Amino acid sequence: MPTNSIKLLAPDVHRGLAELVAKRLGLQLTSSKLKRDPTGEVSFSIGESVRDQDIFIITQIGSGVVNDRVLELLIMINASKTASARRITAIIPNFPYARQDRKDKSRAPITAKLMADMLTTAGCDHVITMDLHASQIQGFFDVPVDNLYAEPSVVRYIKENVNYMDSIIISPDAGGAKRAATLADRLDLNFALIHKERARANEVSRMVLVGDVTDKICIIVDDMADTCGTLAKAAEILLENRAKSVIAIVTHGVLSGRAIENINNSKLDRVVCTNTVPFEEKIKKCPKLAVIDISSVLAESIRRLHNGESISYLFKNYPL
Amino acid sequence: MNSESREDMAINSIKLLAGNSHPDLAEQISKKLGIPLSKVGVYQYSNKETSVTIGESLRDEDVYIIQTGIGEQEINDFLMELLILIHACKIASARKITTVIPNFPYARQDKKDKSRAPITAKLVANLLQTAGADHVITMDLHASQIQGFFHIPVDNLYAEPSVLNYIRTKTDFDNAILVSPDAGGAKRVAALADKLDLNFALIHKERQKANEVSKMVLVGDVTNKSCLLVDDMADTCGTLVKACDTLMEHGAKEVIAIVTHGIFSGSAREKLRNSRLSRIVCTNTVPVDLDLPIADQIDISPTFAEAIRRLHNGESVSYLFTHAPV
Repeated sequence: MPTNSIKLLAPDVHRGLAELVAKRLGLQLTSSKLKRDPTGEVSFSIGESVRDQDIFIITQIGSGVVNDRVLELLIMINASKTASARRITAIIPNFPYARQDRKDKSRAPITAKLMADMLTTAGCDHVITMDLHASQIQGFFDVPVDNLYAEPSVVRYIKENVNYMDSIIISPDAGGAKRAATLADRLDLNFALIHKERARANEVSRMVLVGDVTDKICIIVDDMADTCGTLAKAAEILLENRAKSVIAIVTHGVLSGRAIENINNSKLDRVVCTNTVPFEEKIKKCPKLAVIDISSVLAESIRRLHNGESISYLFKNYPL
Repeated sequence: MNSESREDMAINSIKLLAGNSHPDLAEQISKKLGIPLSKVGVYQYSNKETSVTIGESLRDEDVYIIQTGIGEQEINDFLMELLILIHACKIASARKITTVIPNFPYARQDKKDKSRAPITAKLVANLLQTAGADHVITMDLHASQIQGFFHIPVDNLYAEPSVLNYIRTKTDFDNAILVSPDAGGAKRVAALADKLDLNFALIHKERQKANEVSKMVLVGDVTNKSCLLVDDMADTCGTLVKACDTLMEHGAKEVIAIVTHGIFSGSAREKLRNSRLSRIVCTNTVPVDLDLPIADQIDISPTFAEAIRRLHNGESVSYLFTHAPV
């Protein structure tokens, strides 16, 4: 089989991450045009040949217009397919509908499963994502999925930016205990847990701390920050339990609804997110926000995937 | 059109088929439904191939195959039995085939977590569908997301209502605290604690460092409490026994372990016999012959019987998510 090249595609909106990845790889984004016709339908064309090439489509799906971004991605995949690409890899750092990953005690659809089926139906051959809400989502696909981890980047950030010897890792809910415990292990720190007791009739639900945070810098870790109400309440609980200070580090900084307001009014010192979702506008409104750039992780995974090299180095290490 | 064809469709019956993995549970479900098990022969030829014969007509019937995932030596034989039974029912013109798998095999191999491992639970899901299954009933899946591995409906039942009944009636419940033996189970235990209006604690196994034995760290306070150590399965029981020791060292009054799937493989029995657990309780999702004075059991056959009845009648199953039928 003749050698082929990496072709990087990105939608016209939110190209920041894709541009960072391209720069890191020393490549240009492939020219393409994506526009909406008067009916609102997506129209997409690729401006150069991608025949037999290794296509990587880099998207940032966040809050607001999730469904538009999803349709754009599916259309871009199908465009590459019909343009005779050899392989199409979708890079979806924040997997949409990831929290709708089970039919837990209800008649809900498993929309994450539908997303997986739609991507493969459109013609996707491989998926790269990051910090899936549940690792099992890889099993929803019939094509290979590389679930990368923000953890090495987070570890690096903590070591460089936090007085971490005085710190304790906090999970804001019982579901995230495993992630927090793993990170605590990596840093040789203790961890604690906040448990939101279910509201009873005529009572407000309350949060209970399990563990001891006295005189500690609390680092709340989560995979996603949405409206940040829970994060703000968690910070209050920790300070009431004699924590020294509280920061939050999350992978997907969706920050929808009143998130910015909640953060600005909260007792959190800092909220750190990676750039898996578009982030630039939000930093302007909230001085407490900071960003961890994960574009080098994505760039390295693309290079390794294209060259047929192992990706597992990236599960524990930050790329050089 | 749909309405007409539905009305025209002949009323059919429940047919219960049992594989060899858990005849006792199949009998109990059969008894509770008042429906005898259909005649099925499942044998192994001398070359170890599985042979299945069905001794009565299943044409156009609503078939339920009861087969759980268990057995250190036989887990793959039982899986193959199930696949062949499904296929046999398919070509015998069953209208609908539902597999009742109280303990889903390979459920812990549910992700490709930081390795080149296969997602074997996904493969099992694909095999069941390829064999011809139309529906799956299981219990306390290791991860609820396994439902998403299927293209067909999956009813993941819960042992939780039965466990809650047990705790309320057979433990020192007023002085109890719920404990999860690892970080991964914190969510399940927290939910139970909520329903019982009790506190909970967590044991975290710190990663082993070079030249050091891994140690367990307690997060929370268990002083003078009756600790209810809850997990979805008990396998080799090493972690369970170590967790019990940790709790006793932190001033617990007693430790009772409650698990859904009582696998008890390897040297589990020996560890339990020598442990400081005052009780080990499990359901009968798998056959358990735990011949120990501290052993107790929760019967979940009524839950499966009721699920089958409701499924056949087209009724909602969600009642069973919060109630334990008698």
